[in-house]
Amino acid sequence: MLGYAFRRIVLVVPLLFVISFLTFILNGLSPMDPAEVVLHAQGVPVITDELIAETRSDLGMDRPLLVRYGDWLITCLQLDFGISFITGDPVWSLLGPALLNTLKLTLVSSFFIILLSIALGVVCALKEGKWPDLSIRSISFLLTSMPVYWLAALLIGYFSVKLDLLPTSGMNSLGSYVLPVAVIVVGYVGIYFRIIRSSMLSNLNADYVLYGRACGMTERSLILKVLRNSLQVAVSVFGMAIPIVLGSTVVVENMFAWPGLGTLTVNSILGRDFPIIQAYVLVLAVAFVLFNTVSDLLNAAVNPRLRKEF
Amino acid sequence: MMPLKRLLKDKWASVSLAVVAATLLIGVFAPLLAPHSPNEANMALRFAGASWSYPLGNDHLGRCILSRLIYGIRPSVLWVLAALGASASVGAALGFAAGYFRGKIDAVIMRICDIMLSFPGYVMTLAIVGMLGAGLTNILVAFVMMKWAWFARVIRSAVMPLADADYVKFSKVLGMGSFAIIRRHVVPVALPELAVIASGAFGSMILQISGLSFLGLGIQAPHAEWGMMMNEARAVMFTRPELMLAPGLSIITVVSAVNFLSDALQKAIDPKLMLTGKRAKDGGGKWTSDLGKKEVA
Amino acid sequence: MKRNKTVALLASLLVIFLLAGCSGSDGNVKQEGAQEQTRELVYATAKDINDMNPHLYPGSMSAQGMIYESLVENTPEGIKPLLAESWDISEDGKVYTFHLRKNVTFHDGEPFNAEAVKLNIETVQRNAAKHSWIKLSTMLDNVAAIDEHTVQLTLKQTYYPTLLELSMTRPYVFLSPKDFLNGETKDGVQGYHGTGPYKLEEHVTEQFAKFTANEQYWGGTPEVKTITAKVLPAGETTLLALQKGEVNFVFTDDRGTDSLDVEAMQQLVDSGDYQIVRSDPMNTKMIVANSGNTDSPVSDLAVREAIWHAIDRKTISQTIFNGTEAPAETLFASNVNYADVGLEKREFNPETAAKLLEEAGWTLSGGSEIRTKDGRQLTMKLYYDVNSNSQKTQAELLQSEAQKLGMKLELVGEESSSIANRRSTGDYELLFNQTWGLAYDPQSTIAAFASEASYLHTTKGMAQADELYRKIDEVMVSTDEETRKALYKDILTIVHEEAVFIPLTNGSVTVIAPADLEGISFKQTQFELPFERMSFK
Repeated sequence: MLGYAFRRIVLVVPLLFVISFLTFILNGLSPMDPAEVVLHAQGVPVITDELIAETRSDLGMDRPLLVRYGDWLITCLQLDFGISFITGDPVWSLLGPALLNTLKLTLVSSFFIILLSIALGVVCALKEGKWPDLSIRSISFLLTSMPVYWLAALLIGYFSVKLDLLPTSGMNSLGSYVLPVAVIVVGYVGIYFRIIRSSMLSNLNADYVLYGRACGMTERSLILKVLRNSLQVAVSVFGMAIPIVLGSTVVVENMFAWPGLGTLTVNSILGRDFPIIQAYVLVLAVAFVLFNTVSDLLNAAVNPRLRKEF
Repeated sequence: MMPLKRLLKDKWASVSLAVVAATLLIGVFAPLLAPHSPNEANMALRFAGASWSYPLGNDHLGRCILSRLIYGIRPSVLWVLAALGASASVGAALGFAAGYFRGKIDAVIMRICDIMLSFPGYVMTLAIVGMLGAGLTNILVAFVMMKWAWFARVIRSAVMPLADADYVKFSKVLGMGSFAIIRRHVVPVALPELAVIASGAFGSMILQISGLSFLGLGIQAPHAEWGMMMNEARAVMFTRPELMLAPGLSIITVVSAVNFLSDALQKAIDPKLMLTGKRAKDGGGKWTSDLGKKEVA
Repeated sequence: MKRNKTVALLASLLVIFLLAGCSGSDGNVKQEGAQEQTRELVYATAKDINDMNPHLYPGSMSAQGMIYESLVENTPEGIKPLLAESWDISEDGKVYTFHLRKNVTFHDGEPFNAEAVKLNIETVQRNAAKHSWIKLSTMLDNVAAIDEHTVQLTLKQTYYPTLLELSMTRPYVFLSPKDFLNGETKDGVQGYHGTGPYKLEEHVTEQFAKFTANEQYWGGTPEVKTITAKVLPAGETTLLALQKGEVNFVFTDDRGTDSLDVEAMQQLVDSGDYQIVRSDPMNTKMIVANSGNTDSPVSDLAVREAIWHAIDRKTISQTIFNGTEAPAETLFASNVNYADVGLEKREFNPETAAKLLEEAGWTLSGGSEIRTKDGRQLTMKLYYDVNSNSQKTQAELLQSEAQKLGMKLELVGEESSSIANRRSTGDYELLFNQTWGLAYDPQSTIAAFASEASYLHTTKGMAQADELYRKIDEVMVSTDEETRKALYKDILTIVHEEAVFIPLTNGSVTVIAPADLEGISFKQTQFELPFERMSFK
């Protein structure tokens, strides 16, 4: 296991380098000259070609690509992603709090996704083919096919406006979590509970269940055993769920004016605030890789067969 | 074609297939079917209700909502399908290459796959839109860049056991070229698998593209797109909620049909799958690959 | 039977969701201080108030207007005292002596005196490049503190709008010298202590900013004790928040963003909880054409004129604004000083537009839908503020009209700051904009025609650009009323003939406020609201 963990972690390092390099290159895709961006951020009203050339050499942009990448990486590691084009604030001072807010939303949502997926998955598996199974599956099916903003609009209209129970937007009280979390949860439970369900089913049909039954094990202890085995799969699945939710709260955040990464990024895109977009991509890609690694390790810990793969 | 027959036996699957096929056809023949030009503004009809010549009423510029709905199929569904086709072909080609030739080619392609897969789809799309600007084309480019890796991975694992199979080795001994072997032995086996993944990704891509258009990052005015129509309706969401209805229901209908079809396809190709979850025994790989394509928009 | 079970299941599913939701919030969903809310104002803003440094430009002007004050105030009756109780102007118009109000302190307790005025103005002057749009910054020679309460400004030459420019929301307003960073304000400041009626109490970026009444305010403590600026996306989110009372005040912000459509506003008023107050016409909303962009068809006068003729202002006024904004035919309404010069009206007339294009060589050939000239397509980008619904709708309407003429407009929605950036760097073809309001029109707006930070790119491609700039320089230093009138007439005629500023409607500031709020009034500028005059019944 230790050997596997070591190999897995060693593999992450070059991956992180490649990702950071790609993000670095990504900035070159932008139509704006970085020198010009800096001049704008400083609020220089008249930008002449000479001034741009001067700034380019000040910024060291005439040096080789790899050298610049190295410097950039070092500043990024210190959480220095430059300054926002629009506000002139350091990018991290905007990104940091937003990341925290998005993480809060993600973690609360993931908690409920996991809880509900397991509950519904188990119910469906045990009642396979009967009405609870069928109706849960069809309802979740419909909910998964719904655009989240549509669902969000419906929920806001009903719970916030009509019943006046919950805030419409923002992140002011615990009540603010209810609707965004509900929308995210509804979108993902439909996918994840099916995985739990089929995992349960495959275990229920496994030979050891038949054997157990034949040996006179109680139904209750059998189900517990099956559940334990099925949850092994769940660990890896949910490990991946968290970063996926993290990366896709964009629309929900915008609907509910959640002061998180999604709102920040969309505003940055609409304001052409490139340093923020770049930092966002880097931070989320790194988070994604790290989550994946951790979930792989957890998975390998519970399921030794997987360790062979590497 | 056994799978297809099995598929059509399922009543709901046939209905779904009909819905999807009808949508595609209406999209293709939009100019013939739409009663009005989708972009023609007429302020006199601003927010007019349903009438005989405008069955679904008019939007904030007095444009015909029905016509916009019909034209909206093109970016919302047809272009998504095209992007899916492009990424499937790229992914399939690379996946075949990796799984069939193994060795260095395999290693390189799979490393690239790992990197692509380590960027969450939404993040990558936002990155590309952020750098290149909002627009349908940029999102489609981002889709192709993101999705091919999933196809490549799955196709590779579908091809690998085949490459080892005795009959393929036998063909090699007989002197058949690589491409002939691929066509004869690999394509028929891998194609159903490909169809399952593609149909699974289709629904979530429709949702994603409409989500991005809803945020104003997708298709630009005046072009009709379902997410864009929702975006326009959003401004008057609580004074005229009915405007959210038509595009919303269209998306739900098409996405449900696509998702249902995807499940049915999976069942038809591997009938035991849904009942016994036989694949579950193969380990976690199958599910993890399922996850990437199912991102909720 | 089966259906019943499904219903039961649905219901139980809903219960699970609700329980899940509630346990996440420990069931404690309360309307924040319902009774308190009647005593405070919470206004919705699409953008964060941003940097409150009054000597730089990213901050929200309405927020800055609450915290900081200028020496004098612009009112409908002319310039009135504010931080200066009175002033004398020398015979040659070059020396201004201000007698400051006594017993005024900054929010941090520092005294407001001649020294503070001198330090503030000098730090602004040391960053003059950023303030080039305000001509006074180039005219000021020196500032001297004569005694504790007397300040003398000496100009390099006579400049008639001096007092007008000193009355503006920024940059000639006063920050406690203790907040300066190394004696300067251009690289940021340590605090935001002004002399105004409100203090900045708390600011959480991208969420809210809370202002509290300044108990020591020289003009008396404001009645409304707390004002909160809450960041909310424009449109339906704001409308909902108003309906629920999460915010209770909305106004046209400093970028001209009208977050609610007219119909939604009416709905709020009908509910009985809110009132709408509209100012008199304050500015002109317009489309600015970049004549300096020689790669673009927009540098062609005929194209600009055609766009002018393609805009149906009457329909825009009646449908998009429900009659609340009047059509504008010229850059400045005739009630603006010096602006009643009888310019020729360009009517809405697609045929005239088509004829103009045809004559200029933009022709339709080979069944194509877009006109071309010398192989170049008649395609332009029009930038609008994504937070402004009315701009978007107008853009779409114009796009549709233009399409019929064989002119293709690509619409690009961006954040207002990005659009402001485009304006100053010239990276645009057409964009939505507005004149700067009564306090600024015409002199500052016109001065800005020649300023790199503002409309230089708009005007520099015109045939008579140099003549225009010369006349602008002349008018600013002119001392004779008649010459000034004549010069303004020439200037306005040139830009009108060149059709670089394409007017749409005459905009006003609109306020939606609780029905029991009294004393809602307006200043001579669209950038500020006098919150200190408001009170609850």
